[in-house]
Amino acid sequence: MLIAWRYRERDTIIQRLDPRARIIFMLATLFSIIQFWDLRIMVVFLAISVTQYALARLTWRETRRVWILVSFIILFMTILTFLTGRGGVDYAYHEEHLIRRLGPLSLPIVGWQIGLNITAEKTIFALSQLTRMYAITIMALTIPYTVDPSLYGVTFRGLGLPDKFAYAMDLAFRFVPTLGRDFSITLDAQRARGYEVEKLSGGIVAQIRRLAPLLVPVTINAIVGAEDIIDAMDLRAFGVGPRTWMRRLTYRRADVVLIAAGALIFLASTVLAFMGIGKLWVPAALLRLATG
Amino acid sequence: MTTGRATSNRAVVWLVVLVVFVVLMVLASVLTSGDKIQGIAPIGVTAIGLIVVFVIHLATARSDAWEVGTRQVVYMAIGAALYGVFNYIFNTIPMPSVSQVALRPSICIPVFFGYAFGPVVGFFTGAVGNILGDFLTGWGVYPAWDIANGLIGFIPGLVMLFANKKRSLNFLTGLVAVLIIIFAVLIYMNPRVPGPWTGEIEDFSFWAWAFLIGGVVVIVGRFVLERVGVDLAAINLWGTLGIIIGIGFAAIADIWINGYSFATAIIGEFAPAAGPNILNSMILSPILLAAYQAITARTGR
Repeated sequence: MLIAWRYRERDTIIQRLDPRARIIFMLATLFSIIQFWDLRIMVVFLAISVTQYALARLTWRETRRVWILVSFIILFMTILTFLTGRGGVDYAYHEEHLIRRLGPLSLPIVGWQIGLNITAEKTIFALSQLTRMYAITIMALTIPYTVDPSLYGVTFRGLGLPDKFAYAMDLAFRFVPTLGRDFSITLDAQRARGYEVEKLSGGIVAQIRRLAPLLVPVTINAIVGAEDIIDAMDLRAFGVGPRTWMRRLTYRRADVVLIAAGALIFLASTVLAFMGIGKLWVPAALLRLATG
Repeated sequence: MTTGRATSNRAVVWLVVLVVFVVLMVLASVLTSGDKIQGIAPIGVTAIGLIVVFVIHLATARSDAWEVGTRQVVYMAIGAALYGVFNYIFNTIPMPSVSQVALRPSICIPVFFGYAFGPVVGFFTGAVGNILGDFLTGWGVYPAWDIANGLIGFIPGLVMLFANKKRSLNFLTGLVAVLIIIFAVLIYMNPRVPGPWTGEIEDFSFWAWAFLIGGVVVIVGRFVLERVGVDLAAINLWGTLGIIIGIGFAAIADIWINGYSFATAIIGEFAPAAGPNILNSMILSPILLAAYQAITARTGR
């Protein structure tokens, strides 16, 4: 089974940036955006995310499946929140102005009453939530396509992770193609012995159990093979001194600017949120619809 | 070893920073207005969670469970790679089965690796494995879910802190029993709370009973499984606990990050993720463990 990384090397501004700076910026904006519910502020963050996405110059073809899946989840969650209870952890909004009430409907056997109050706040909250989730997702989505997998270990070491863990990350990335190949071989070997993964029969428990012939050999083989690797590393004095990496990451001016921008955004957001700015904004037109 | 001391000192420094930060935030919000507490609550809750983990770590620092040598580094790398690859395969390759949602066999990897090799290996397997899987599928990086999967591997690893598996089971049973008692007392004293579905005050008793019955099922389940084998009981109970805490963490984190209602978090995220995960883990983790024990008996390592 050929397991390919999504990363494509492209000469874009985004890819020339230091991955550490990008991760710091992403985390800073994430912690900033979760402090607001105002739709107008959400739009600003969405613009930042979309700009970053556009700069990455990804093609529709390579991201199409992911977009569809992600949009489905976001829409589903937004609608689900709209239908059930109060989003925003009960502090996005306190009062509600009713536009329309649907129901209550009485369920036949249990006698429960279900109804839906469509309020101005709920509607604008759903919109804000949609924008916020898209802003977060678009920013997160860019990363697998624009960060070179071979840089992951040295990136996290640059962010403060101890040498051993950073090296373990590199080792894990290195193992991916090997395990993909092992999985193919195991699948074929089991097929030759009459195992058909396409025709798992039985109830759900039996079906899960029938996946074991795929999982267990690959896992145990990997663990047994690990013994040789452990010996090889010990023989080369692994972990005795500080470790160096082949690729070195250096901050350039653009990276410093990016980190500074991220820090600024976070600080500004925290201050604004503390002052109470950025709570849910209900447009006057919607309120008129409710009361009028 | 100097590196060990340095890391440990750094951990203590960060712990102190965290505690000071939380105290400052609480003071700030109390002095300004009570409303602000809700704004910083997620940071506070996360910080408290981290403090608890740190305290456990510092208290048991001498235990072998926290050792990170060459062996652990290689195991965590393999675990992460396995989890990532399996996640990718079972996420993208369509499984011709009606119950597609329920087939999440890869969850047995962090549970097993945590149980067999320790909490550090378990956490790394879950967290980095999840990052890898998301990278391969192309979804993006979602820190809350990475930490959540890390917890799924971390919790079963805590078994290593106990002298033997039976003691770990006793601890868990005791913990559940204590929680049941506390919960029962709370419900008795304050039976009316805002319902998650409607936001209005309602009688809590249904949820209370569900929780209490769940707790009793866990305790009974422990003794039933132990009849078959201590390992079976231990990996299943600790694995299930890990999955509940991990997915619970992600669902609650998403309430803060994405603004879900409580009901959305439960119906939309917790139930569909935790349910199948627990089922898959309870079936496949013991199989994996049995195979591993057969290998170690053979090679003697």
